[in-house]
Amino acid sequence: MSPITSTTHDQDALLRAGIDRSLRHPVMFFLTSGAFWLAVSIFLGVIASAKVHSPGFLSSCPLSTYGRVFPAHLNALVYGWGMQAAFAMIIWLMARLSRKECTMVGTILTAGHVWNLGVAIGVVGILLGHGTGMPWMEFPSFAWPVLLISYFAIVIGSFIQFRVRPEGHVYISQWYLLAAMLWFPWIYVTANTLLHCLPGHPVMAAGINAWFRSGMLFLFFTPVALGTAYYLAPKVTGRPVFSYSLAKLGFWSLAIIAPWAGMQKLAGAPIPYFLPYLGAAATALLFVPACAAAVNTLRTMLADRETLAASPSLRFTVAGIAGLLVLAVSAVILNLPGSSLRLTQFTLSGYGFEILALYGFFTLVMFGATYFVVPRVTRREWISRRLIKVHFLFSVYGIITVALVAIFGGLQQGMGQEDWQQPWESATAYAKPYSVAITFSWCLILFSNIFFFIHLLLMWLGLGRRSTHPTLLVHGHHPSSPHGAEGDIDNAGPGHAAVH
Amino acid sequence: MSLPNQKPDLEDSINVTETHGRLAREAAACVREKRIAENGSEPISLWLIAACGLVLLIAGGILGGAGKLFNYGAVFQQGYVRTPPPGVAESGPQPKEALAAYMAKGARIYSVKCNGCHGPDAKGDGANFPSLVGSEWATGETDRLAMIILNGLVGPTSTGKTYGGAGGMAAQGAGLSPEDLAGIMTYVRNNFGNSTGDIVTVEMAKAAMEISAARAKVGQQVTAEELNAEHIKALPGEALDPKALVDPLTLAPVTAAPAAAAAP
Repeated sequence: MSPITSTTHDQDALLRAGIDRSLRHPVMFFLTSGAFWLAVSIFLGVIASAKVHSPGFLSSCPLSTYGRVFPAHLNALVYGWGMQAAFAMIIWLMARLSRKECTMVGTILTAGHVWNLGVAIGVVGILLGHGTGMPWMEFPSFAWPVLLISYFAIVIGSFIQFRVRPEGHVYISQWYLLAAMLWFPWIYVTANTLLHCLPGHPVMAAGINAWFRSGMLFLFFTPVALGTAYYLAPKVTGRPVFSYSLAKLGFWSLAIIAPWAGMQKLAGAPIPYFLPYLGAAATALLFVPACAAAVNTLRTMLADRETLAASPSLRFTVAGIAGLLVLAVSAVILNLPGSSLRLTQFTLSGYGFEILALYGFFTLVMFGATYFVVPRVTRREWISRRLIKVHFLFSVYGIITVALVAIFGGLQQGMGQEDWQQPWESATAYAKPYSVAITFSWCLILFSNIFFFIHLLLMWLGLGRRSTHPTLLVHGHHPSSPHGAEGDIDNAGPGHAAVH
Repeated sequence: MSLPNQKPDLEDSINVTETHGRLAREAAACVREKRIAENGSEPISLWLIAACGLVLLIAGGILGGAGKLFNYGAVFQQGYVRTPPPGVAESGPQPKEALAAYMAKGARIYSVKCNGCHGPDAKGDGANFPSLVGSEWATGETDRLAMIILNGLVGPTSTGKTYGGAGGMAAQGAGLSPEDLAGIMTYVRNNFGNSTGDIVTVEMAKAAMEISAARAKVGQQVTAEELNAEHIKALPGEALDPKALVDPLTLAPVTAAPAAAAAP
């Protein structure tokens, strides 16, 4: 390494370190409060799921009835955790990829507090019985303008950074993130104005609501997670993205197909007959963008088995992308109007599909990104390898159980419902063993996420390890560790840190 | 943050130590990061193209299943009749006692057609809308009541007072089926404190519609003179025992069906 390149390399590292440092509090605020809401959401999810098999559980108090706890569970998951994790990744990745320090820390933090206040009021409003009854939009109707304004205040800096970026190549992650930043206000404003401000026919309102949910999954959470995965995969392994043309195919097919999906939830309802078929076909076609992105990132990541074994970021990302593949296949299998679609409408399957997308894919990728980003913005290394391992095992096995059991149990439940000669109760009996399994797995996931939250909080407080060596999942002093031997800051002399 | 001195330091200058010290302290994670390499251009594998092609075929099949774009006929089956499951007797709606069935039908029609003016307690408002409670015309001859409902009324009412100014009461006959008319008349005559105890049957309501269509001034509101001259009589038709069983939807009498056997 010649002195010149060494200096540019060091300069570049210091620039990136400066960008990370400028985003320390916004990123940690969104991740930590997101992790808190994730724990709250899963706690509510445990109660809601327990009520599916034991209706008498906590039924004496109106606050804890299914009709309030279940929407509070999903809304806390979507707006409390999902959106905030996405904010953290958007502001960090856009700053990194545009090579600009964040200059709007105050605005972002203020808006972030307003966002959290909105979510808190919304969740409490649902629990007190003021929910609107529209899935994923249950927050009392005054909440959405508040959330929308804070959204713009949070991401406006990232738009500006993209606009003033150094000339040159726009990286794949930037396509996805910029698209998600534009698509979210589109679907959010459309659905909320049409349902809250210009209420039309209630059947069509249910259709718009179904389109909104599908849009949140495939026009916001999916592109954010894919943008993140396209950053992490080459960054952690140091290999090029497998195929640029496949990335282009994945992005543009998502942009073209995803807006049509969603209305299949209303198959059989008195809306124009072609809409559910259009929605079902579009959802099945989402296999193409999902598979293209999944194969592309997986081929990049799986090529480097050693790093995969050691790096928590990579392991979580691979698990999330595997979740995307399962999601792609179930999008086809669950949307065949002749057979499976009718079984998913009023059963656990719809829930399983949403949880698979939100948790089995999006959240796992966000966890991977969290393990990558937090040491950089806090300048401390993760405290405990064991906590990360437990988090990985419980999250992955827990969510596989929740999502797959809900999807297949829901199909069983749907067959019970279709048998119109049997009382409705027997359909519930079909679903009972599956819902017991779901409750149990949510409990495991809750356990690991409480520790994840504590781990994050300690990192934010600056209590992480002071070391130049990352916390990896393989044991230390391993000869094949890609980051060299373990050591701490005192004996890492000049040059030692810059091996890679 | 200021950038480090850009001069390449080959000697034991203080800058090297300082820079590397800062790197180790502040940017350790960034230094060990790998660069994002140039984009790869590996060929897209055939099996991926084949899988996507298969999904395209499936999606085309789904869209093809939609048939014509606004294919309402597939969802709304004209003249659909519910068939009982094999091996199970047709249960259908349970027969009800005639008075209760007629009253239930009448209550639905009243809330749509009459409630707005005569009010939920049928007492009117005393100024524009007369009370039906204890009214001679409401509880008296059925022909007279039917003519008022079907054609509307202008001029003085049974008490001699004129309500609603020059307009009077609008005709309510449009869209009423004989079952509806029978239900509403029975309801008004046996509710709100009225209790004639009799039922205006569907047959009587059909006759009322025929009489109404045969009026000399068809299409105009009736007046007190016309009512007193031509319509002080009961509608023709056999009386129905209030306890007889009828179908709650069609109001057709059912022959003492074994209600217990039909229960699921």
